[in-house]
Amino acid sequence: MTDLLLSEAEKMFIIHGVQDNLRVDGRSCDDYRHIELETDVVSSANGSARLKLSQTDVLVGVKADLTTPPTDNPDVGTLEFFVDCSANAAPTFEGRGGEDLARDISSTLARAYSSDRCSSSMLKALCVVPSEQCWVLYIDILILECGGSLYDAVSIAVKAALSSTKVPVVKVTSSDGGKPELELSDDPYDSLRINVKHAPCNVTLSKIGHSHVVDASLEEEVCSLASLMMAVTEEGTVTMLKKSACGSLHPESIYEMLETGKNVGLNLNKQLTRQLLDEECLHTQMGTNREPKGFL
Amino acid sequence: MADVFKKVEPAEYYRRHLTHDARPDGRQLLAFRDVVVSVGTIGTADGSALVRLGGGGTTVVCGVKAELASPRPDTPARGYVVPNVELPALCAATLRPGPPTALAQTLSQAMADLIENSGCVDAGALCVSPGRLVWALHVDAVCLAHNGNLADACAAAVVAALRDTTLPAITIDDETGRVRVDSGRERAPVAASAFPVAASFAKFDNDILFADPTAEEEALATATVTVATLEDGSLCLLHKAGGSAMTEKELQQCVDRAQVRGAELRHLVNKVAASKEC
Amino acid sequence: MLTSMLTSITIYLNAMPLDRMRIPGPEDSKPPFVYETPSGVDVSNLVKTNGCRKDGRKADHIRPMFIKCGIISQAQGSVYIEFNNTKVICGVYGPREFGKREDFSMNGRLTCDFKFATFSCKQRRQHQQDAEEKELSQLLLQSLSPAVCLHKFPKAQVDIYVIILENDGSALSAAVTCGSLALADAGIEMYDMVVACSARKYFNSILLDPTAAEEIVPMKTNESVDEGEMTVAYMPSLNQVSGLILKGEMHTQVCAQIMKSCLEGCNLIYPVLQQSLITSIRKSLSNVDLQGSKEL
Repeated sequence: MTDLLLSEAEKMFIIHGVQDNLRVDGRSCDDYRHIELETDVVSSANGSARLKLSQTDVLVGVKADLTTPPTDNPDVGTLEFFVDCSANAAPTFEGRGGEDLARDISSTLARAYSSDRCSSSMLKALCVVPSEQCWVLYIDILILECGGSLYDAVSIAVKAALSSTKVPVVKVTSSDGGKPELELSDDPYDSLRINVKHAPCNVTLSKIGHSHVVDASLEEEVCSLASLMMAVTEEGTVTMLKKSACGSLHPESIYEMLETGKNVGLNLNKQLTRQLLDEECLHTQMGTNREPKGFL
Repeated sequence: MADVFKKVEPAEYYRRHLTHDARPDGRQLLAFRDVVVSVGTIGTADGSALVRLGGGGTTVVCGVKAELASPRPDTPARGYVVPNVELPALCAATLRPGPPTALAQTLSQAMADLIENSGCVDAGALCVSPGRLVWALHVDAVCLAHNGNLADACAAAVVAALRDTTLPAITIDDETGRVRVDSGRERAPVAASAFPVAASFAKFDNDILFADPTAEEEALATATVTVATLEDGSLCLLHKAGGSAMTEKELQQCVDRAQVRGAELRHLVNKVAASKEC
Repeated sequence: MLTSMLTSITIYLNAMPLDRMRIPGPEDSKPPFVYETPSGVDVSNLVKTNGCRKDGRKADHIRPMFIKCGIISQAQGSVYIEFNNTKVICGVYGPREFGKREDFSMNGRLTCDFKFATFSCKQRRQHQQDAEEKELSQLLLQSLSPAVCLHKFPKAQVDIYVIILENDGSALSAAVTCGSLALADAGIEMYDMVVACSARKYFNSILLDPTAAEEIVPMKTNESVDEGEMTVAYMPSLNQVSGLILKGEMHTQVCAQIMKSCLEGCNLIYPVLQQSLITSIRKSLSNVDLQGSKEL
């Protein structure tokens, strides 16, 4: 990502701080930074969310479209992740510079959402006519600013956007013998919601010195040689686990990180679910009158 | 000392060898390298073959994948045979990952011509139901090590893999039109009796002709010619590339040598195929 | 019927730019196994009642290996490995100059290119790298780079090319093992060899080095938690994990359990690799002796 240059002294300061469980911005090792989340920010999308995690800023839009289901799984819908690293976020993203990162984020997300419980709880509802028509959800992720912990921010925003997604209800009227005909429901409020109960949140643990921290800032990412990424569900199960960055980890520290990641992930999911409920209530109370906070 | 000479003056180094009617690797001018062929090595393919020239200097593996497709409207009873040669960056230091190089494209086209002209695939075996369903054979040759004369190695691998290819029996329900793979019936071969074999030659200094060039020899050659022959002696492919001209006599010499080479290779591949069946 | 066929063809053409550098095949073709009855893969009974797997192995047995070094005449280092039916070839080129014009760097660079041969899997692969292959290339790079002394070749890069010739399961771990052996064969300085092993959690047993039939198929498991597979890349002498990837969903304790099994598997493979390296060096030394005596 951005090439941040730190002197040896600055690095030592961060590493020693982490060792004493006190980070540069005053957090402890297991704390996230302040998260701002708003759903339904893009009126033209079926669902959307914008998330700010300190300096990190992402926007996620979900668009639903009808397509033919994959031949090997004819009775489910599909998810398509697409990440766009805007050149505004970092000068290195200009041209095709952000492609590798974008691909890595989307494949990590796809892996996290590929667990069977997650896909069956979410995707079975998206099937319209088995092996004929199903919904595909295009999840477009726009990276507006990078300030560390990009993967975590994206995964939280995706889960929020999916929970706010409203897919129109489609009635199937089978004309005799021929192809089934689809009819959109007349009531615009009649919509299908996505069950995000089994959707995971990503927790990245960066190894700094002999300890590990969650939600590393850009400066802390420079100090870390290796990190462990895990996608944690509401129940504390792991649907994706991956060592990233070009360093290695001792098996014992991986076991420790797994436990920390689980607890942090559980907490994160709980907070997110509560916030999403609040957000939902707000929407129903205020209806269309709600003033969107928007981008400023 | 010899190494330095070879690096500094490669052409002169070769000239000195050739004046004694021998090549740096000890071969005679019109001698081919040893060939090792093994068939049916890839279990996931419907037919496969591995060809190695000169103890692994040039290695090509070819796998055939059969798929079902609807035929072209103008040729309703014809299947597809789609040969492609891959030269991955793995096989030579000069190659980098990316789109197919000019050589790979030339070789792919040569393989397509070879299959088309020789008729080595049984056209009837590829047709399941005229106008509705035919087989598409994806014949992919991957070069694993490149030390010259890819044309011969690819041709041998492609033909041997096609001769190894068998297809499952397909039944189509007349009423419902449902397609079903009949796993009870035996798989049928696709190869016809025609067995083309390619032999390549290179010219050095516009007048010296030698067979089966290595990568170094190819870099020095002023012209190359590839001749593919069938059992009955007829030609099914003739490809001449490069600047220097070829006399009728030289060309005849190439064709004669290619016939002998063809007989050798056919014998070898048939032996390998027979030993596999035992 | 015809019109629908035509529209499907046009959609296909729009979706995929025609490859003009290869011989074109039919626009749409299907592998014969989709017409097979019963369709789908039989994923039941991977372990028989006597504790043996379908190929007769016990749960904690790895497949027999065949290793050959120096298989590609042009490459600095090359290795061919068979794990029974999984066949992998790897070539290493370099250190050589940077492929693209790039900034000066005091550290050398490693690039990895992972490709399934078109005929290597049950479903035919395309010639161009797909998203999965790009992800696997990235994982391969992250697993191998901690082991390489990158500071030993500044301004230069080492290219690792891996082709899977036949995939009968555990392709990534075979690629990592093959790649690290090829690096050693090329004489690139390394801190340690990297050995990789995969394991599949199946009900109560952990199946080491799974075959393609034992690998996890999306949407085909029992929708239970604690099913999945993990690949671990490990440097045995340093006791460091250089790569880790998980597919499926499981609790953290189970993750740790599978990781331990993978590490045991790696420790089984390590001596075999060392032995084959010694054999290949012996062979090349005796060749040098022969040449030397000839020149005398």
